[in-house]
Parts: sequence; structure tokens; C-alpha cells
Amino acid sequence: MRNVGIIGIGYTPVFVSKRKDVNIPEMISEAVDNAFANTGLTAADIDAVVFGNMQTFEGVNLPHLWAADYIASLGKPVMRIATGGTTGMSAFHAGYYHITSGLHDVVMVVTYEKQSEGDSQVGLMGIITPELMAMLSAGIDVTGGSGMGAIGGGSAGGISFQASSYLHHSGAGIEHIDAQAALERRNAAKNPYAHLKDPEATAEKIAQTPMVSWPIRFGHICPTSDGATVAILASEKAAAKIADKVAWVHAVANCASDATTANLIESQITDPAEQMPAIIASRQAYERAGIKDPKREIDYVEIYNGFAHQALMYLEKVGMCEVGEAHKLQEAGELEMSGRMPVNASGGVVSTNAIGTSAMNRVTECALQILGRAGEHQVEKEVHKALAHGWGGLMQYVTITILGDKPKKG
Amino acid sequence: MGTLEETFFTPTVPMDFVYNYRVGSYVERYLGGFAEKKILGSKCPGCSKVAVPPRMYCGVCNKKMEEIVEISQEGTLENFTVGHVVLEKGQLSPAEKPYILGLIKLDGASSLLLAKVEGVSPAQVKAGLRVKAVWKDQVEGDYGDLDHFEPV
Amino acid sequence: MEKNVAIVGYKMMNALDLVTSRERLTFDLTRGLFNELGIDRLAVDTTILDSNDFLDGRTISNVFLDPQAGVYMRDESKVEMDGLNAVLYACMRILSGQYQTAMVMALGLTGSQVSPYLHIEYTLDPTYDRQVKLLNELSAAALQARSYLAKYGYSEELLDGVAAQNLGNAALNPYQARRISGISKDQVKGSAYYYEPLRELHCFPPSDGGCAVLLASEEKAKELTDKPVWIKGMGQSIETYFLGERDLFTSTSTTQAAKRAYDLAGVTDPKKQVAFAEISSLFAHQEPLLAEALGLLDKGQAAGAYQVGETAIDGKLPINPSGGPLGAHPISATGLVRLAEAARQLRGEAGDNQVREAGMAVVHGQDGACAQQNAVVVLGI
Repeated sequence: MRNVGIIGIGYTPVFVSKRKDVNIPEMISEAVDNAFANTGLTAADIDAVVFGNMQTFEGVNLPHLWAADYIASLGKPVMRIATGGTTGMSAFHAGYYHITSGLHDVVMVVTYEKQSEGDSQVGLMGIITPELMAMLSAGIDVTGGSGMGAIGGGSAGGISFQASSYLHHSGAGIEHIDAQAALERRNAAKNPYAHLKDPEATAEKIAQTPMVSWPIRFGHICPTSDGATVAILASEKAAAKIADKVAWVHAVANCASDATTANLIESQITDPAEQMPAIIASRQAYERAGIKDPKREIDYVEIYNGFAHQALMYLEKVGMCEVGEAHKLQEAGELEMSGRMPVNASGGVVSTNAIGTSAMNRVTECALQILGRAGEHQVEKEVHKALAHGWGGLMQYVTITILGDKPKKG
Repeated sequence: MGTLEETFFTPTVPMDFVYNYRVGSYVERYLGGFAEKKILGSKCPGCSKVAVPPRMYCGVCNKKMEEIVEISQEGTLENFTVGHVVLEKGQLSPAEKPYILGLIKLDGASSLLLAKVEGVSPAQVKAGLRVKAVWKDQVEGDYGDLDHFEPV
Repeated sequence: MEKNVAIVGYKMMNALDLVTSRERLTFDLTRGLFNELGIDRLAVDTTILDSNDFLDGRTISNVFLDPQAGVYMRDESKVEMDGLNAVLYACMRILSGQYQTAMVMALGLTGSQVSPYLHIEYTLDPTYDRQVKLLNELSAAALQARSYLAKYGYSEELLDGVAAQNLGNAALNPYQARRISGISKDQVKGSAYYYEPLRELHCFPPSDGGCAVLLASEEKAKELTDKPVWIKGMGQSIETYFLGERDLFTSTSTTQAAKRAYDLAGVTDPKKQVAFAEISSLFAHQEPLLAEALGLLDKGQAAGAYQVGETAIDGKLPINPSGGPLGAHPISATGLVRLAEAARQLRGEAGDNQVREAGMAVVHGQDGACAQQNAVVVLGI
């Protein structure tokens, strides 16, 4: 298979709650311009564009059509990918296949979200309504326990089932979730592009935030951010001409299980902390990347954690440590930027969440660590290989990307 | 068991979401122009095209169109269609009477502006007609201020 | 293209109202496809779904269709454009060498579940076009139609002729939704105007439908079918969003997309080398307009060509022998249905719609008002 590398990254200058100064395509163009500025490339160098976001949040259908003039794409192939929360990484994977297919050499992946413009309920209603319809048509009592969970909790409801199940299996406590949120908000303070930053964050401060649905506290939950992220990918031959340092893609993988048995209703039947798709996708990625011992061979991890506990849960599920080990590593300080298994030095999704970008930001942040360009949030140990993880759907759709500092052999 | 049609459950789900869009500084300026009964456009430093309404980016040159220019209120009707229906929230219904929508090349602009055309019958309207802007009496800096175009 | 990728099977369903749910339709299409090929879901290495969140009325629409499509604990991604683009992506996945088989499935229930006109409406700029409220899918198409007719001095008769031919083809095609037997030009002309010059029967019908197609690498294709249809070339391109800055009488992005596809396929003279075409023309005028942009008709010669039956099923270069989107427009699936219809022809399975010589075919799909974005695939046997 052809080798593909990330040769450029562009973010909007800030990821904040509301970008009042620009409309949607104007905001996206900032990230595109930054990617070009960072690489010295121009629109003429781009062969194809891949575009992704979670469109119901802005109420614009096929937004790449409206944004076409702003993303250096006129006269070019443009492909729109949309898989909900994992859109960012699914779009990245599509960019990867554009190049590995042999049909294109330099591909720009554009992701964004401007959630401040949406009805805050729109994403949740978009998920809940069909759930309710499914429940009604199956004769399930929507006024009972699961119904209340679906209606009252929305996304947070199912997530709290997941978090409490995780704590039960792993032996971790809510204090570990508090500590993880605090750790990532402190990391975010060193990342100029992060949204929620708190250099003084502590587990105790997080523990004082209101309880939403046990064990999920307000302080554990991601913000909604406005922002865009652009990654420029190139084939080995093209990269050699353009860039001196490249973060190479060693593997991509994805796995989806059943949305109707992974969510709120069925949290009483199956276990949303089981995360088979994460186990399957990560093992497939390791095989493709030729990685036999991830704990030793992967130096850095970015986990998509819209909710703080997910950093710990997924660290175990992707095989970076055993079940029950993640919170112990955290206690020992190993997950910090200075630790032996640094996680989410960017601050993770729990600090920045422009949904369409969030899964791709996990990849770009891994790339920055490999390239040594993460500035203040560069981790202490040398990063040769990194793993980026994304989840979406109804907690049952996982994407994985493994990056390395050299092209993959064979 | 009845037929599939009889046992098939079809719930209707009304979804009413409110979106609040930032229009961006270019549309803001355009509407600001309307408050003064002016039509504004933006000019590309690369190809010199003048876009109406004004916007930030020229996709051909990949450059920002930061120069705002005032456009003439008169122009040529280049293309048109006569509407016999109204499309509201995805539903088609017959229009009260046929109406004309035109693509108008204002003098000084490169892009065509879509607007209603009145003061000429659907039978008489032709491409090439010279038209001018007609404003609402009270303008508020809102989209509806530029009401329609009519023959010069 | 470095490797050969084939279509080994297809399944499609269209009706004005399929009286089904998305889940049921997904299952019927994919399970139906597996049954025909004698395989099960584990034979599919990767799946590309194509559905539209707005039209589905829910976000992350792909995950709700995964299980029914046989994607349980397996690899799947979703393209949200016209279904032909999903074929491009699935093909890329096989060309990469990572996968041997890829299934593409697209569907839209824009007949029974939701108004099809909302699809384009929501693509419109919310900061301007949606506020001014003059632009919609039909008014835009009408402006394109008038621009095209005026450019070459055609009369509205051309639209009536194109529509009557397509609707007549659709009447012969059991896979179509709007089938009016005995359709005549007069009947088309007698339908009410929407936006002049477009009348009701010049426009696609709101309809339900879906399509599933299995692609395979050369080695796998031989195991699965003795009638593989090869993907010879593919391409895609896009124009500016701003209608007032586009040449509405032609389709430059279709010509660009076609050039990419033709270059890969080694097609240097489309009029000679292409046997027939399946074009996603949602309105009567779009068929000759897009055929010209694809290099299949000489510009300015369309009226004459249609008059003498060049584009009819038994003509020199049949266009939309299936009846095209005037027979069914299941939004998200339309371009994929064109691909399946072309495959059907190339395998000699097209029944009453069968063209005489089926060697190389051009398939086209579009997105956006007045086909702002276009995809082209060249197929051969």
C-alpha cells in the first residue's frame, strides 16, 4: 500500500463558544488559509478535497456546496463524509484512501463545526426522536425507566450508564474521573487552540461542579466549540518534494456495532462500557501497522473523550493497558505530559469540542507530537508512534488512526 | 395479521429547530447599504470581478475580496422565469398569480442578482430589458428592503 | 487505474411510495443482494453507506442502518452526497489494496417521508438566499432551462420531447417509480407549469427508492460473477455555489469530471467510443445539457438529435434508456441507480429497455442546485 503522510495542519485561530465575527464559510477559510500558510502550499497544489462536519448542528445540508468557494476547491473533486461525531476521522480516512488508491497525490481534509448557531437540542433530538419511534413501535413503555433515560438524559443519560459500568468493571472511582478532567484542562491551558483552559484545575475543583447524572458531573463534560481543522495529506513522492518533516499514517481502522442495541434503551440489555468496536478496530489497526505490543510501541495517545471517564475507559479498550489499570497509571502520574504514557496533551475533547473537527483533532494532535511541533504542550518523551481514537454514533462506532515518524515499510 | 399497509405504523414527527446564523461582516455591510438604499458589492484583487451581494472569498483566485464598492441601481435583465407555484417548506401550491423572477446584471457588477421583476407582464418580459431597483418606502437594513426591479 | 475493480451485483427498488421503513429497505436491498450472489455479510470487507441526515430526520443516519446492512462489528463509512460518489470512495478502498470487496448502499424516502425539495432548500446559503426566499430547486432549474434554450435557440418542444422519451422508457422499466404507459408529448405539454419553461412532467417525481451494489477486485470478481462490469474511469468536480456567477447553459464541472474519468478510461472520442449513457438529469433540459457537457452530443445539435431519435433506446447513442430520474429520484441514491441501470444494460439484463450495443457506458450523478457538483463513472465489459 502507498504511504501517506500529514504534511500540514491548520486550525482556526481559536476554538471558542461563539465566533460572532464570521459566518460558517468564512470561519472555515481561516483554517484553510492557516494550513496553506504553515506549509507554503497554495490552492493549486491540492488535487482533491474531503469535507466533513455534523450538519444538523448548523442546519445546512451538504455545506461543502456553499463553502466551495472558500476551501480552494473549485474545479476539483470534493467528497463529503458524514458519520456524526467521528466525522473528523472518517473524513481523514477518506483522504487517506484518496491517496492510497493511487488516484490523487495531495489531498486536503477540511472539518468544522459552528455549534453556536444551532439549536442546542437539535443534535440530541436528532438522535432521540428515532429512539422514541423505535421504542413506540416495539411497544416499549416510554414513560418507564428506559424511556425516562432516553428522554431525560439525552446523550448524557446513556453516557452515565457507560461511566458507572466502567467504574464497576475497572475498580476506578468518581475521583479518578474528576482527576482526569482536571489533568486535561491543565493540559489545555498549554494549548493555544483549546477552548476550556484551567492551569489551576484540580480534582477537588471538578468535584464541586454540579452532578448531572451520576457519575457524570458538569466538570466532566465537553464544551461546544466553534472551530475548523484542516489537514493536508500527501503521497510519499509528493511529500518528498514538499515537506521535510512528515507524520506518516501507519494504519486506519473502523468498526461499527449496532446502534439500536448500544444506546439508552438497551443499556439495560447490553453494556455500553463493553465497547467491542474499539477493541476490534484497535486490534485491526495494530495488525495493519505491524504493531505487536502497543504498550511498548505506542508512545502517545489521543482519545476522543467527550466525557472525561472515556480517556481511561478507551485507554483500556484500545489495549494500551489492562482493564482496571488506567486509573492506577493516572494515580502514578504516567498519563501526564511528563509521564510514560501521556494522553491528551492537547486537552482532549473534554476541553475542546467543535464536533466535526474533534475526531480529526485527535489525529492532528498526534501528528504535532510526532513532528515535535506541539509547543508548550509537547510531551516530554520522544514520540515515534502515536494512536488517535475517535468514537461516535451511539457509543458504538469507533475509528482508529496510527501515525509514525517514518513511512511504514512493506 | 392484516396487510402490510394496515399494520404499518407511520408516526409523524414534527421537528422545529431554531438556528441563529451569524451572517458575517460582508452581508452585514450589504444590509447596511440597504438602510441607505445603496447596493454594495465586493471586488476581487485577482480577477477584478465584482460580486453582488458582497462576500469574503473569490473561489477562482482564492483571494479575499476586501474592497467594497457601490453598484449602480440599474441593470439588464439577462435571464428570468415565470413562477406559477409557490414552494413553502417543501410544499408546492399554486401561486395567486404568475410572477417573474429575474437574474439581473447591474451595471458595474459581474455576478447576476436574483430579484422579483414587476411592472411588466409575463407575456411581455424579455431578456435584455433594462430594469432599475425599487425600494420599500421605509428601509430598515433588512433583506426585504430591495423590493423588486421594474423596467426603466 | 492501477487495478481493475468490477461491479459484481446490484439490487434496486423504486416506487412513488415504497410503504417501507429505512431499516426494512436497507435490509431488503442488502440481504437481497447477498442472496442473489450467494454470499453472506462476512463476504463484504467494507461498506460505504449513503444517506442524508436531513432527509432521514436524524443525525448520524448511517449508524441506524448499519445492522440492517449487515455491518455488525465491521467496517463502514458514510458519504453524504449523490450515491455515485459513494462508488468512487468504495472503489478507492479496493484500489488501495486494503480490501477485496466493498458494498455501496444508498437510499432516500423522498416520496413518502419528506419533501424532496427540502434537500436543495437546506443547501442554500442561510445568510442570504434562504432569507431572500426567491431561490429554490425549481426556480433555479427553470432559470437554467431558460438559459439553455435561449443559448441554442431551442424551443420548449425539446423539453416535451426529452420528457416524453424518458417517461416512455420508464414505463417499460419495472425498476422505475413513475410509469405512465402511452405517454405522449401532448400529455407532457398538458401538465401544469411550475416555473416556466418547466412543467410538472419535465421534472423528477417525489419518490422512494434505494440501491445496493457490490464492488470487487479482479480476483474476487471472478469468484462472484461471470458477468463483471468493470469500472474503467471515474472523476468528480465542483463549480462555484453562486448561481449568478455560473454559465447555466452548460455544466463545466461535468466536463471536468468527465475528462478525469475519460483520461483514466482511455476514452478520447466519447461520441464514438461510448455506447450509451445513464445521466442524472433531474429535469428534462438537463439531459441534453449534461450530454453535451459529457461530449456525447454536439453543442447546439440537441434538438435535431432528439428529433431523429438518436438518443432513443434503439438510437445511435441511447441516453437514459432506463427512463432516468424523470422516472424516479430517490435522493442520495439516484446516481447509484444510474450505475446499476448501466450495469444491467452491460450484462444484457435490461429487458424491454435493452440497448442494442452495450460496450462502454458513461454514468453521471449530481449534487446541488443546477448540478453545481458532478461525478462521472465510465463502465465497460
